[in-house]
Amino acid sequence: MRRAVPYRRVILGLVAGLMAAFLLGVAVGAVWIPPIETIRLIAWKLGLTARPEDVSRATEVIVFQLRLPRVLLAAIVGGALAASGAVFQGLFRNPLADPAIIGVSSGAALGAVLVIVTVGAGSLGAFAVPLAAFVGAIATAFVVYRLARIGPAVQVATLLLAGIAIAAVISSFMSLVMSFSGEEIRDIYAWLLGGLVAQGWRSVEIVSPVVILGVAGAWLVAHELNLISLGEERAAQLGVELDRLKRTSIAVGALLAAAAVSVAGVIGFVGLMTPHLLRLVIGSDHRRLVPASVLGGAILLILADLIARTVVAPSELPVGVVTALIGGPFFIYLLRREGRKAGARV
Amino acid sequence: MRPIRSTLVLSLLALSLIVAACGDDPTVTPTVSGPTATTGPSTSFPVTITDDDGESVTIDAPPQRIVTFAPSMTEIVFALGLGDKLVGVSGAFDDYPPEAADIEQVGGAGDFGVDPNIEQVVGLEPDLFLTIKGGDQWKRRLRDLDVPVVTLDATNLDDLMDDIEVAGQITGAEDAATATVDHLQAQADQVESAIAGTPRVSCFYETFYPPLYTVGPDTFIYDLLERAGCDPVTSSAGQQYPQWSVEDLVDQSPDVYLVSSESDAGPKAVAKRPGFEAISAVAAGRVVAIDSSLAERPGPRIVEGLQLIAEALHPEAFD
Repeated sequence: MRRAVPYRRVILGLVAGLMAAFLLGVAVGAVWIPPIETIRLIAWKLGLTARPEDVSRATEVIVFQLRLPRVLLAAIVGGALAASGAVFQGLFRNPLADPAIIGVSSGAALGAVLVIVTVGAGSLGAFAVPLAAFVGAIATAFVVYRLARIGPAVQVATLLLAGIAIAAVISSFMSLVMSFSGEEIRDIYAWLLGGLVAQGWRSVEIVSPVVILGVAGAWLVAHELNLISLGEERAAQLGVELDRLKRTSIAVGALLAAAAVSVAGVIGFVGLMTPHLLRLVIGSDHRRLVPASVLGGAILLILADLIARTVVAPSELPVGVVTALIGGPFFIYLLRREGRKAGARV
Repeated sequence: MRPIRSTLVLSLLALSLIVAACGDDPTVTPTVSGPTATTGPSTSFPVTITDDDGESVTIDAPPQRIVTFAPSMTEIVFALGLGDKLVGVSGAFDDYPPEAADIEQVGGAGDFGVDPNIEQVVGLEPDLFLTIKGGDQWKRRLRDLDVPVVTLDATNLDDLMDDIEVAGQITGAEDAATATVDHLQAQADQVESAIAGTPRVSCFYETFYPPLYTVGPDTFIYDLLERAGCDPVTSSAGQQYPQWSVEDLVDQSPDVYLVSSESDAGPKAVAKRPGFEAISAVAAGRVVAIDSSLAERPGPRIVEGLQLIAEALHPEAFD
């Protein structure tokens, strides 16, 4: 194994990177706002100065109601997806695991689609679809978990297969629903493609407590996830209550993914790529990997969203398209590079 | 999970196909050739035309069994007085005139439920299949099965009038076509003279939210907006139906905010969205819902859509 870069340095780097990404995200957008105006507006909001009179109301709205909540939401959603990925990759001892693995994404999509086709996207208030997505995600995770539980024991391989099977069933069912739907199809596509636009600060307010709870949970199971990486038998000998750990980890991972998916739709690759990427740098100690993933996921999604909203400005791209288009090839490159190194070492 | 992602990829693919299909050169207009084009009011068949897909199509005799695959085409056929010759329409969106609802629907096939059912179409034995752009694959299959597919795709009002004339020529209903076009022209002129004295305003036309989608130049609706006396703030759009930055919208702050009924959002809902209060139109209460079946369906009722938009933009001119 390659010697890991010192953890402290990585975390410091990630924190600095997150701050830089955050500032960049707030400073840059479809409309050019001189950084000095943004700084003066922020100084005013922090109570440091009086309202800068020469800055227009439109600029203020753009910075505080459009960009700031969007960048924050990107950070929260990215962090949640990455933390969820780290937990699932640890639990399944498989770097291919991601938040979708136990059907969370498909469950969320099913919840959202059912609400969209039955009552309409906006008719029950702006949060009907996110709520349905959240419920769908958690319910699916629970069903998958129950399917994999035989007696008191939960087989990880069964869990994986059950997740894949359920996701396939849901996916086909959704295709069925969609092929019979009329104009709702656009709402469905818009939701499936993922986006951070809709509800501004309210999305941030609603989703952040859930994500904080989830990240705390992920941190709590991190140590035991390290032990399980030695193998289930060995972990049990070291005093890990396997069934409880699996239950908790799944609950935590599902909660994080559900929170993210419910407000931002299906955003691929962040949950898969971030922990994988960071494991290459800091090794696989989950007590390090979880915090690093939260920071890394936040950075990634802020930057992906920045690309989504500026590259064809004033038009925009769906953020899920950006994460997959850029994340996919980058991930493949990493895999190849690591593969070559491993090959050379043998 | 993977199945979801593949669905996603498929849908992206479909979207890109639709976009590609919509992105065709909008300046192509159908041309009529042969002895028929110039010989007086009643056409002598066969008629050969080059349609908006660039296909050369020959219609041997006045069509007796017409299938339309677009609500606008259905409306045009009825306007030409050929409703009784219509044996198939696309689907539930073919809702005008009301009689259209009783005609067999051939849409709903294909991976996304937006293609015509080929078997059903062939079973109807149409001697004319009228449609708009897109769906190159199923069009090819229909042509291979000797269904005379004619694509007419108007991107502005003048273009539509030409298309109605062409529809008249290939159906032997030239007189009705000319009357329809004259009526359209008269109504358009009327709107134009009504707003002649009023200053132009800036506007935005929403087709979907969230995320925010709008219309760019080279779309029919954009042409109507300009005719109705406004300058859309989306003039820089490179696509026909781009996703649009709310930041840019707030920055441009249009005078009037039009919401397509497709978007399903009332003026109140629009005002409540984050950031929207800084838009002049929202602050001034000038958010107006527009019936998309009138304003976005390039058929004979499009001038009613034009009237609606003009009234929304310049209420003072229509008191």
